[in-house]
Formats: sequence, C-alpha cells, structure tokens
Amino acid sequence: MTDKMSLVTMPKWGLEMSEGTVSAWLVSEGAKIAVDDDLMDIETSKIVNTLTSAKSGTLVRILAHEGDLRDVGAALAVIALADVSASEIDAFVAATVSTEVAGTDTAEPTAPVAAPVSLAPAPAIQSQTPRASAPVPMVADNDADFVIPASLAAGADDSAIAITPVARRLASKHGIAVNSITGTGRHGRVSVDDLRGAVIAAGGRFNVVSALRTNASAGGKRADDSQVPATPVARRLASELGVNLHDCRRTGRHQRVSKADVEVAAYRSNPAQESAVTAQSSVASNAPLTKLPSAQLSSEPLSAMRKTIAKRLQDSKREAPHFRACIEVEIDRLLALRKQLNNARNDANISVNDCIIKATAMALAAVPAVNIQFDGSQVTQMPHADIAVAVALEDGLITPIVSRAETKGLVEISNEMRDLATRAKIGKLKPAEFQGGSFSISNLGMFGISQFDAIINPPQAAILAVGVGERQVRPDGDIGFRQATVMTLTLSSDHRVIDGAMAAKFLQQLKNFIDQPATMLG
Amino acid sequence: MAEKFDVVVIGGGPGGYVAAIRAAQLGFKTALVEREHLGGVCLNWGCIPTKALLKGAEVAHTLNSMQYWGFSADNISFDIAKLVAHSRGAADKLSSGIDYLLRKNNVAVFMGEAVITGKCKIRVTTENKKLAIDAMHIILATGARARQMPGLAIDGDRVWGAREAMTPTVLPKRLLIIGAGAIGMEFASLYRDLGSEVTVVEALERILPIEDREISQRAEKAFKRRGVDIQTASTVSSLRTVGDHIEANITGPSGTVKVQADHAIVAIGVTGNIDNLGLEALGVHTERGFITTDEWCKTNLVGLYAIGDVAGAPWLAHKASHEAMLCVERIAGETSARPLAVDHVPGCTYCRPQIASVGLTEDEAARRGINTRIGRFDLQASGKAVAINEPEGLVKTVFDAATGKLIGAHMIGPEVTEQIQGLVIAMGAQLNDRQLVETIFPHPTVSEAIHESILDSINRAIHQ
Repeated sequence: MTDKMSLVTMPKWGLEMSEGTVSAWLVSEGAKIAVDDDLMDIETSKIVNTLTSAKSGTLVRILAHEGDLRDVGAALAVIALADVSASEIDAFVAATVSTEVAGTDTAEPTAPVAAPVSLAPAPAIQSQTPRASAPVPMVADNDADFVIPASLAAGADDSAIAITPVARRLASKHGIAVNSITGTGRHGRVSVDDLRGAVIAAGGRFNVVSALRTNASAGGKRADDSQVPATPVARRLASELGVNLHDCRRTGRHQRVSKADVEVAAYRSNPAQESAVTAQSSVASNAPLTKLPSAQLSSEPLSAMRKTIAKRLQDSKREAPHFRACIEVEIDRLLALRKQLNNARNDANISVNDCIIKATAMALAAVPAVNIQFDGSQVTQMPHADIAVAVALEDGLITPIVSRAETKGLVEISNEMRDLATRAKIGKLKPAEFQGGSFSISNLGMFGISQFDAIINPPQAAILAVGVGERQVRPDGDIGFRQATVMTLTLSSDHRVIDGAMAAKFLQQLKNFIDQPATMLG
Repeated sequence: MAEKFDVVVIGGGPGGYVAAIRAAQLGFKTALVEREHLGGVCLNWGCIPTKALLKGAEVAHTLNSMQYWGFSADNISFDIAKLVAHSRGAADKLSSGIDYLLRKNNVAVFMGEAVITGKCKIRVTTENKKLAIDAMHIILATGARARQMPGLAIDGDRVWGAREAMTPTVLPKRLLIIGAGAIGMEFASLYRDLGSEVTVVEALERILPIEDREISQRAEKAFKRRGVDIQTASTVSSLRTVGDHIEANITGPSGTVKVQADHAIVAIGVTGNIDNLGLEALGVHTERGFITTDEWCKTNLVGLYAIGDVAGAPWLAHKASHEAMLCVERIAGETSARPLAVDHVPGCTYCRPQIASVGLTEDEAARRGINTRIGRFDLQASGKAVAINEPEGLVKTVFDAATGKLIGAHMIGPEVTEQIQGLVIAMGAQLNDRQLVETIFPHPTVSEAIHESILDSINRAIHQ
C-alpha cells in the first residue's frame, strides 16, 4: 500500500526548526503534482518558505490546513502515486498516524502525556467515525469521557494480544476487550488510536485526553485566559469556539495549548456539537459556542515577527517598572549643522534622526550608567553605545543596531543606518545586527507625533522616544520673544537600575549636545 | 506628502526592468519610471526588431540560393512593409510582456519623465499629474541613444538613425552606412541580402574593430564577396541631401571619392541619456556623456546608482541586465553579489556570417603581456558546416600559456551567436584547456569546431 501513496511531512529547515505553520496551500486536493511543484508555504519562527513535492502523483488528502501548527516530521498531506480509493487513503493515513503514536508510546512507556499526540487532528480518523444512527447498547463508565459499547465489553481473556502499554492500561481501566481489535501500531500492536477507533466505530465514546488530563482547572469559563500559553492557532480557535484556554490541556510544544487541545475541550464541553453538523438548531441554542458569521470577522494567526514583538514587549512591560522623563530641546543649530554637512557631502544624506543617534551616543558616553543591560539580576556595563534604532516595517518593526556609535562620524552613522534600514525592510539583517544593543531610539517625528512614551527593549534599560521638531515662539529675555524649532524627547527608564536623577542627568547631557552640536565632534 | 519607495528605477529597458523585478523579488517596495516604451531600445528599437528583420534577410538569402539546392521559382516578390510589420509586432508583443512581468512582481510603473530633485528625491511627471517620490535608492537605467556628429546629423528623412533604418517603407537601391560596428554591419548584411547596393565607411582600419583582428578580416572578406563596398580608414568628409538622394565625399588612403545613395545610416556609436535628469545640479560625476560609477554601480551621490548603457561600455543589453542584478543585490546586502567581470561579457553580431566573442582578443592579451597559446579551427573542415553549405568561418580560442586558462574566444560562422555561451560558461568557471578537451561535443554540430579549436591550441587537432 505504501508504494501507492506517499506522505508529505513537515520539513526541517535548519537546525533550530522544531515546528512550522502551514501559511498557505498552493494546490488543492485532487491536483496533479509533479516533482518540485510548489505544495504550500510554511512559516517558521524565522522565515516563510515554500515546500515542494518530492514525488509526482495526485494530492489526495490534506492533513494540515492553513493556520495549522505542526511539529517537524508531522504528516501534512498524502500524495497518491497511483489510483487509490478513498478507503485506501483512510487506511494509509490511519496506519501512518498510529505508527507515529505507537512509536511515541514505546519510546516513553512511562509518560502517558505522550499519548494525546494521537489526537492531533486527523481528518481520516474523523471520517472513519460512523455517526451512530440507532441506539447501541452501552456500558457506561463512571467517567463521562468513556462510553464503552457492550460489544466491546471485557469478557474473554485478551492477555495474549499484542498491545502498547498505554493502550493496555486504558483498556483494562475501562473494561475494553481487545480481542476483536486489529492492531495497526508498530509491530502490529493495538495502539491507543486503535482502541479509540474501535470504541467510536461501535458507537461509544472514548476521550483519552481528558482521562490523562493533569491540569484541569475548574470553572474557568469566564476567567481571563490571556495568560495561558497557547499557540496562536489554538487561541484563535478557542475564541471562535468559545472555549476557555484554562479548560484545555497543554500538550503543545513548550507546554502550550495546541489546536488539538482546544478541539478536545470543545468536544468535551458539548459532545453533541460535533455530531450535530446538520442540526443547526442545536448550534444556535448553544450561544457561547456559536461561531460568528465569518463575513463579520477576519482573524489571522500572529506572524512569527508579531509573536516576538508581543512577547518581548509584554515581558518588558510586566517586568520593568517604567518611568518617563521628558525634555524639550531646540534643534535649530542641529538643523543648520545637518544642512551644512549635506550641502558639502555628496555621499551622505544625513537625517535629523542620524543626528539624534550621534547626540545620544555622546550622551551615553558621558553618562555610562544609562548605557547598560539588565537581565533581572545582573547589570552589565556596556563598553560602547550600541544604539538600536526602531525601523517600521509593513507588518511590524525591527531595531537594527548602530554599534559603537560614539566612535563614528555623522556621515558614517547615516550611511550605516541607510544600509541597515534597507536590509531591515527585506528581512536581511543578521542576528548580530539587531540583537543586543545598549540603548534604543524610537522616532515618530516623521509622522508628526509631538510626544510619546516607548517601551524598553530588554535587556536594555532605557529607550528614547523622539517627537517632531515644531516651530514655536519662545520667551527670550525679559520681554522679548523668538522663534525656535523645538523637539520633545522622552526617556523611558527601568527604575530597578536607573534612578530619576540619573535619567535627568542623561537627558541634560543629550540636550547639551543637541543645543551645541559642534561639541559632538569633539 | 511624497510617496515612499525603497527602490525607484528610472528607465524600463533590459537594465531597468530587470533591476525593478529583482528588487521586488527581494522584497523591496519598488517603482519604475519609463518615458516611452517598456523594454527600452533593446526591445523596441534595437536587438529584437533587428533580429526580426534579419530573419527576413535570411529568407531572402535562402531564396537567392535555391537553385543550388535544385529549386527554381518565378515571380518571387517582396513587400518590405510586411517584414517591417513583423518586426514591429514582435517588439510590441514583448513590450506588453514586460508590462505583465512588472505588474506580476508588484512593481509600481509610472509612464512619464523623472527628474532627480535632490538626494533620494524624484519628481515624476506623467501625462496628467506631477508626483513627488522619496526613494532610499535610485537606480538610473536611462540607456543611450545614437551619437551624432557635426555634419552627420540624422534628419530622419534621407539620413537615418537606427530607428528609421528599421522602419523603411521602400527598399533603398543604394545605401551608405557610416560606421562598421555591430549595428552598422547588421544593417549592411540586412540590406545587402534584401537587394540594396551597400557601401560601408569605417574610420578605423578594419570593420568590427573591437573584434579579434582575424575575425574582422574574415568578416570583411565575406562581406566583400557578397558585393558590399567596404571603405576602411576612411571618413565621410561631407554629407548632404540633394533632391531625392544623398551625396557624400569619402576621404580614405587613396584620396577622396564621391558616393551617391538613396539613404545614409549613421551608426557611429552611442551617447548616454544623462540630460534633463537633474544630474548636473546635484554634482553627479559624468565622463564623456556617461555616468561614472564604481564596481557596484554606485555614483558619487548618496543613494544613486547607474547601470547599463548610461554607465558606459560595453553597450549591451545583457551587460545592463547583469549590472541590474548585481547593483540591487549589493543594495540588499546579498553576499553572493560580485562586480561585473568585463572580460566575461560576450558580444554578438547577427550579420551573415554571424560573429560572437568573449574575453580577450589575441592583440589585447599581447598588450597585457600575457603569453598566449592560440587554437584555430576553420569551418571548411566541419562536417556540419559543409553539410548545410555554410563552411565559411573560424573558431579561435585564446589560452594563457602558463596556466592553460581560457581567456578569450572568437567565432565567425553559422549560428555562432548560439554557441558562444558554452565558452562563456567555461570562462566563468575558470576551466583550463585540459578540462575543456575532455568535454564531449555532440556530432554533427557546428560547435564541434570549438572542441577542435581547443585541441589545436595544444597541437592535437584531429580534423585539420
């Protein structure tokens, strides 16, 4: 059978890839596929890349849909190399998936936590499940998750049957006779999946995940579940299905709630829903579980970049007690210097932001107590002003670093910044070019923002928010007035390691350099 | 507020559109400004339409030689309008293809004139609006146009530039071609095959002066055999229109002769399109009509680059496309980008017989003090060339005697423009004579002559 069909699995692109999300299918079921044809786009934490086919044939079954997160090696689709029937495909999928599970079982026989992997959504298994149309005699277990049909109730001795340890334990606990169950696991053993398939096929209920559940939290339905670790796909599905993430097991990677966990929880909270595909009224009567019409809402899983931004800023806001200090600076002399330099140098196009980078670097050199990294317990004094500058992208932001900025001239900083920003736009920065840094600058002046607060970019301890330079009338002497271009700079500092007076001293230095830009050259 | 782009390309020829597509592929927000036709001169008024016309010339040649093959026919007529229509059709079709490619790659296309108004600033004037654009990087790919000289002004009527020469309404009986570079010789070949009396005037002492001396001599012999009048080391000392024809005085080694013709074609080289772009005001360095750039196509102005013809010789579409890619990839920080290796740029002339070459000529290698080993193979001894009755040609290979490295290849003969690529690859891969000798060439092909030429360089030729 296997020579008629081939499984497409989640590839491993690079050492650190452990999982990937199917971001788009490029072909649909039934499509003819040639070797090297594009199959789907897969997003990892680093890149989006296209998976091509290693076989030629027909794409007969999609096992992982758009938005699904899968571990490396997990089944994504089936390609038929010859004519196959639907039942053959079902059997192939069931065999492949349960083989994977059996392998997991034997590898870690004492870790039942591994078993729920078998419940990763497998359409083939669902399609195998006949909907009970007539009442079937049942042996009710005291656990509502298990309803064992009489036809499978324990009777004759089944100790000679080859069966995985986990499946054996479940079978004996719930009184299932395994004599009549065909083993499809490794070495032909009966796997947990086989048990489940047999029980469901006979009209029973077999919810292995909740049986193995370890961290159920009671009555969390209305509780805020935003802090529960979950994959983006799972979180989205949970909100669609009205499932509270506190009610879900966390079997995903890094102990996160996975999509399968949410599906199981949804099924447990309302088992009728799954079988009531045609019974619209039952869906309507379960208001909290009702999906909103898809036309009204569009939701997408977070991109890898947004996940990183979300996590880092969430951590920063939670861990670091931010305090802010503002200062107004007149930038007319700075603008004059910039104009003079730009007129004199064909090879540079210095921006106001480039000048702020230089002034900040000089101020950091003067007040090194602000030029630090802090990991929560240790303060590291940074030897140079490695300034991370926020660059807006279409779908996020990134902070490339101008390293040793205090040692560089304005032209050098400007051209380096142009190169960094250019490559940032197309995701071509090397990790060393955007990780670390001793201080950050975020500038929204070009959007006309006069003042704002920024969130510290850990492990740094401070960030400068730069507003727009605006023409203002300022008092001059006792009764006089003059015009000036004024910019508001706001420093957010981590109060655990930077005190108010230190922040004030830094801002004072920065103001001095901007007021008298010639001093930056010294 | 100005519209913002990461990369803006000015000019939609084989340099510009390739730069724009590559930039978009790499993820840059990209725009392209073109004032006339996407595809540039190459596609609309150069490479492509002339190849379409030359196919007609080949048909004419086949018909002219049909009796050799046993055929005869009466009343063969020729409508030049149809040939020109085919040529224009091919150009139009390909031009709309470029439009599709740009849109497919999400390149914003502005049809209009662009002026660089400051560092990283452009003003685009389209038919109905003016648009300010801020660009982190601006790539100039404005190309070049026919060079004009005092006394040889192209008037579009009797004195043609390339454009008029590829859209004739009547076949000229007598034609004077000034300049025996690739463009001049292609027109000479075209019009001669179609039936015109052709005179070619070249100021230097041989036609196709950038080719290897032996190849030039072979070509001159072939053209003379076809009845083309070739005047080398000669200049047109006067050119004027008299009624419905032109009169020219040609001054050469043996004095001055007067020539009359229906039309003259001026093909004395090209000059870069550097005017009205705002370059002078910004102090962009230029040199003899072309923009000065470094090995990464950067100009002296921050964020400004120049590629292709406007950045100087060699004025070839594939050089422009290659520079487009290396320029954009350098901007993107791709470590695989390499500066252009001028000695690896092949050149092709589509006259009959065709001429193709890459790398150093024998003379140039000697000038650089390289001790060379030369291989030659005459197509008289090529089975395939004899079989198709085109045994006129030569394959000349130039090796560094010390290392056996291939440093130049020069070919004249049937379809050699399609064969030179093998040697370009060999040169790029830095193959030496031993490795090339071990290569199996398919039989029977004209390209076998390449193998024999390489064998000859180590005195091992089999068939001569």
